[in-house]
Amino acid sequence: MTRSLSPTRATAIPAPRHDAARVATGIRLRALRMVAPQGFGYLGQALSAAETLAVLCAELFRPGVDRFVCSPGHYIVAAYAVAAEVGLLDPEELAAYGQNGSRVEAIGTERSPAVDLTCGSLAQGLSGGVGFAYTDRLRGREEEADAPHTFVLCSDGELEEGQLWEAALFAAHHRLGRLTVVLDANNSQVDGPVDGITTLEPIGEKWAAHGWHVAELDGHDLDALRHAYADALSATRPSVIIARTSTRHGLDCLPPDADGHFIKLPPDLANQAFTELEARYA
Amino acid sequence: MREPPYQTVQKPYGRALVELARQREDVVCLSGDLTRQCEVDLFRDELPDRFVHAGMAEANMIGMAGAMAREGLNPFVHTFGVFATRRPLDQIVNAVAYPNLPVRLIGFMPGISSPGGPSHQAIEDIALMRALPNMTVIDVADAAEITQIVPLIADHPGPVYLRLKRGEIPVIFDEDRRVSLEQAQVISTGDEVAIFTNGMMLSAALAAASTLRGRGVRVAVVNVPVIKPLDVDTVVRVARSARAVVTAENHSIIGGLGSAVAETLAEAGLGRTLRRVGLRDTFAEGALSGPYLFERYGLTTQHIIDAAWNALDRTDEPPAAAATPVEAGEYAPV
Repeated sequence: MTRSLSPTRATAIPAPRHDAARVATGIRLRALRMVAPQGFGYLGQALSAAETLAVLCAELFRPGVDRFVCSPGHYIVAAYAVAAEVGLLDPEELAAYGQNGSRVEAIGTERSPAVDLTCGSLAQGLSGGVGFAYTDRLRGREEEADAPHTFVLCSDGELEEGQLWEAALFAAHHRLGRLTVVLDANNSQVDGPVDGITTLEPIGEKWAAHGWHVAELDGHDLDALRHAYADALSATRPSVIIARTSTRHGLDCLPPDADGHFIKLPPDLANQAFTELEARYA
Repeated sequence: MREPPYQTVQKPYGRALVELARQREDVVCLSGDLTRQCEVDLFRDELPDRFVHAGMAEANMIGMAGAMAREGLNPFVHTFGVFATRRPLDQIVNAVAYPNLPVRLIGFMPGISSPGGPSHQAIEDIALMRALPNMTVIDVADAAEITQIVPLIADHPGPVYLRLKRGEIPVIFDEDRRVSLEQAQVISTGDEVAIFTNGMMLSAALAAASTLRGRGVRVAVVNVPVIKPLDVDTVVRVARSARAVVTAENHSIIGGLGSAVAETLAEAGLGRTLRRVGLRDTFAEGALSGPYLFERYGLTTQHIIDAAWNALDRTDEPPAAAATPVEAGEYAPV
C-alpha cells in the first residue's frame, strides 16, 4: 500500500488560487452561520471536512472541467460553504440554508448548487463518480490535455453500505485513474462513533485490497493533503485519500462530548463559536 | 393481427438495440451478468466499445447509469426484472427517477414466466416502478411491439422501465402495428365486457375474447402496453361503452394494470363491475415450467373467460377455452 505520509514527492504541487488555511476557517464559519439559527445541525461534517475541501477547491479543482460528487448529502453544508469561499456560489444564498422553499437544502438534493451530484441516501455517490469517470473513458477523454478528474467526497460511515464496495470493485477493475475518493474518516455516525457500531479498520488495507491507490493521513494537515492530492492526480489507478479527521476540529469551544453527527448549538455556545471563528477568519 | 399458434422469433430486442445503437452514438449498454439472457450478447459482440459489464452489482449499475445519463449518454440497463427493480429500488429512486434522467431499465422474465421461484419472478415490478414519479412503465406483447418500442423509448426524455419476455418471442401483430407511448390500442369493440391487457396476457385475452364471442358475448379488447402514463381517455371511453371490465396481467393484481384501470374508473365516476386476472396477492413457487404456474396461479385463457362470465353475472356454465396445439418454435397462450 502507498502511504502519502512519505516526505519525498515527485509530483509538482500547483500554485494555490486561494489561501487554503483561510478557506478552511471560512468553511467552518459559514457552516456555523447556516446551522446556528436552527440551534442544531450538520456542523460537525463541515468541521471534519474543512481542510480536505479547502485544499481541493482552493488549489486544485477546475470548475467546468472536473466533477465534484458530495456522496453524503449531509455534508452539503460544507460544499455550500467552500463554494461560497472560492467564488462559485453567492454567499448571500447561504442565508436560506434549510429554509422553506430554498434550493440550499440541509440534506443535498437535485436542487443543490455547488456539486455535480449528491445523494441524501448514503453511499450512492461513488457509483455516480464511477459513472462520470467511465463516461470519459467511453468518450476517449482520458488522454486529452484537459481530461476531467472526478472527485468524490465520501464518509467513513458510508463504508458500511455494500454499494460503495460494488463501485470500488468496478473502478479498480477498469483502472479509473482519474477518479479520487476523498474519505472523511471522522469516526462519526448517527448512533455514535463508527468504530463502536461496525469495525471498518483497517480501512486503508481494505481499499488497497480492492486495487486502489491509498493515501492515509491527518485530514487537518494541509501539506499532507496537498501531497496526497498530487499523488492521486498522477495515479494510474483510482485513488482514495483517507483523511483522519475530527468533527470538533477547529472549533475549540465545542464540548468534548458534542455529538459530531448532529451538533447542538444553544445560543451561548453559538455566540462563543462565532467569536472564536470570526477572530480567526479576520 | 395473426392467429394462434403464433410463430416465434429469437432476440428481437437484442437486434433492435444494436440497430438503434448503430444510428445513435449516445446509446450505451450495461449488463448485470445476464448478457445472453437479456439478448445483449449481440450488442457486446457488435459494439464492444459501448458495452459495459457491470457484473453482479445492480445498485452500482443503476448509479453508474444515472451518471452516464447526466453526461448525455443514453444508457440501456439489462438484467432480470426482479434484479432491475426490487433489488436496486432506492438507487432507481435517487439516481434515476428523482433526477428524471433518460435511463432505460430493461427487466427480462416478467411475472411467473420464470419457473425459477419467487426470487426470480417479477410479480410486483410494475407496481414498484409505477409508484415512482417520472417513470414510464411498459409491458409489450410481441416482437413487432418490441422492435418499435426500442427507438421510441430512446427518444423519451425521462426514465423508462421496459418489461420483456425472455426466450422465444411470439409474433402476434402484423408489421403495420404502430406502438405509441401515449395511446392504448383498441383491438376490438363490444358493449358487454371490455378486457384490458398487455404483455404476455395479450394472446390469452385475444383467445378468451374469441371463445366468448362464440357464445354471443360482445367483447372489447384493449392492448395497454404503456401502463404509466396510462391512456386514461381510451380506458374510460371503452369501459363506458361496456357493462363490465376485466383486466389481465402477468403480475400481482395489486399495483399493476388492474389497479391502474380501477383507479381510472373510480376517478371517472364510472361504476363498472371489475374483475382482475393476475396473481392474487400471493408469491408463486418454483416449478418445471411457466405454463404450469400460469394454470396454478390463475393466468390462463380460461381464467379470463371465467372472470368475464362472472363480471357479467352469468350463472350458466362458461365456455371452455379452445386448446391450441403448438409445434416447436410456436407459441400459444396457456
